[in-house]
Amino acid sequence: MEALKAAIEINGVELVRRARAGDGSAWEDIVSAFSRRIFNLAYRFTSSVEGAEDLTQEVFIRIYRTLDQYDSKQGDLANWLMRLARNLIIDDYRHRQRNPQNTMADTVDDHQYHLRAVGMSAHKEMERREIAAQVQEGIDKLPSDLKTCVILRDIEEMTYKEIVEVLRIPEGTVKSRINRGRIELAKILRRMRVVTI
Amino acid sequence: MSYEKENLISCSRFEELLTDYLDKALGSTRQKGVASHALSCPLCHSLLNEVKASLVVCREIAEPRMSVTSLEARILAKTMPEAAMKCEEFEDLLTDYLDGFLPAQIFHRWERHAVLCDDCTDLPGAVVRSLAACVTYKLDELPLPSRLHKRILQETIGTAKAKLMKASRASQFGEWIRGFSFPISVPQFAPVALMMVFAFLMFSQTVSADGSLAGVYTKSYELAEQTYKQGSDAWSGTPAEKQQTQDPVTGTTFVDQQDGIKR
Repeated sequence: MEALKAAIEINGVELVRRARAGDGSAWEDIVSAFSRRIFNLAYRFTSSVEGAEDLTQEVFIRIYRTLDQYDSKQGDLANWLMRLARNLIIDDYRHRQRNPQNTMADTVDDHQYHLRAVGMSAHKEMERREIAAQVQEGIDKLPSDLKTCVILRDIEEMTYKEIVEVLRIPEGTVKSRINRGRIELAKILRRMRVVTI
Repeated sequence: MSYEKENLISCSRFEELLTDYLDKALGSTRQKGVASHALSCPLCHSLLNEVKASLVVCREIAEPRMSVTSLEARILAKTMPEAAMKCEEFEDLLTDYLDGFLPAQIFHRWERHAVLCDDCTDLPGAVVRSLAACVTYKLDELPLPSRLHKRILQETIGTAKAKLMKASRASQFGEWIRGFSFPISVPQFAPVALMMVFAFLMFSQTVSADGSLAGVYTKSYELAEQTYKQGSDAWSGTPAEKQQTQDPVTGTTFVDQQDGIKR
């Protein structure tokens, strides 16, 4: 997978050119390289596997339709594609916040976490999964504007400037939301006894 | 032998001199005598060690438990209450504190508040642990549902068997041409560029004899010369010669370069 990602970074322009011409394998390579990352980002905002699946599919449909707009001079394929995906996922999240009846979120407990690293003890793995589930629950309890900023900064590790570009709000507002979001999340997790004194 | 006898002390005498020995208040001869006894008598040696350990514990207990930061914070809170930080301000500056961006003066006020305020004391630690939990959460990526990959391919290119879908020759050629397309960096200039090209073509085809840029210049020069001649004749009063009617030269007019006769 890493090798494929590296190849895509180099051949992003060529892949897009082939995909635009109608080469199915080129488009499949793009989908394979980015679907997991986009699916996980969607899950952070929807807290639902089904919701994240639908959203990921929508994102790829939009990407496919806008492949013509890709310009390699404005950054590599990964940057362009993830920026587009983030914008669409955040727009969807904001839309669902304004229209709560459209929410696709279900409970975090429904989600089955996978077993990953081989060699990690079962107890440690369970503990880690439990923490991850509780953090997701804690993040869901944040107000929507704080939740967006916390995910983009502390989970997606975006810079302040990148968040400003995505959310189109002043940098001072971004900073204060990140700060407030971190404090609120810490208080929530403390109440949930995820972080102890 | 006499020296040893003089410095020989009993166990009870050792106990009497022990405090002075530890305080180094004895004369050198007596000090050596007490030390010699401690080395020769296991019970007194043990006693000496116990007393030494007790003194260390007593000194530790006697030291103030309050740290300097805490003491300084309390003193400043009493003497300069206006310099104290409020909880809201403390929380607003938390990320800057963790990132190390606080100026020295604010940094010290922030730390003093962290020491004194019971509500805020544990908050920085809780935020740091919360960030660590976020890292755990971030690392716990979900696997891609097996059906999703096929769903995406089906919805975008109409088939899950993408490998079988090849680009047509025409579309490949179209993309190849597109790669060589003339780049106009500012799209708004495209209509202007088109209008200028069109105007040049119109101008060259109506004025120039052969449609070339050189033809436009040559004709312009001839017209300017003719205009000058007419102006100078009018000024000097010379009757204007009967000018041969100059038909406009168009792209379909052939001008003989030798005799200038249009055909």
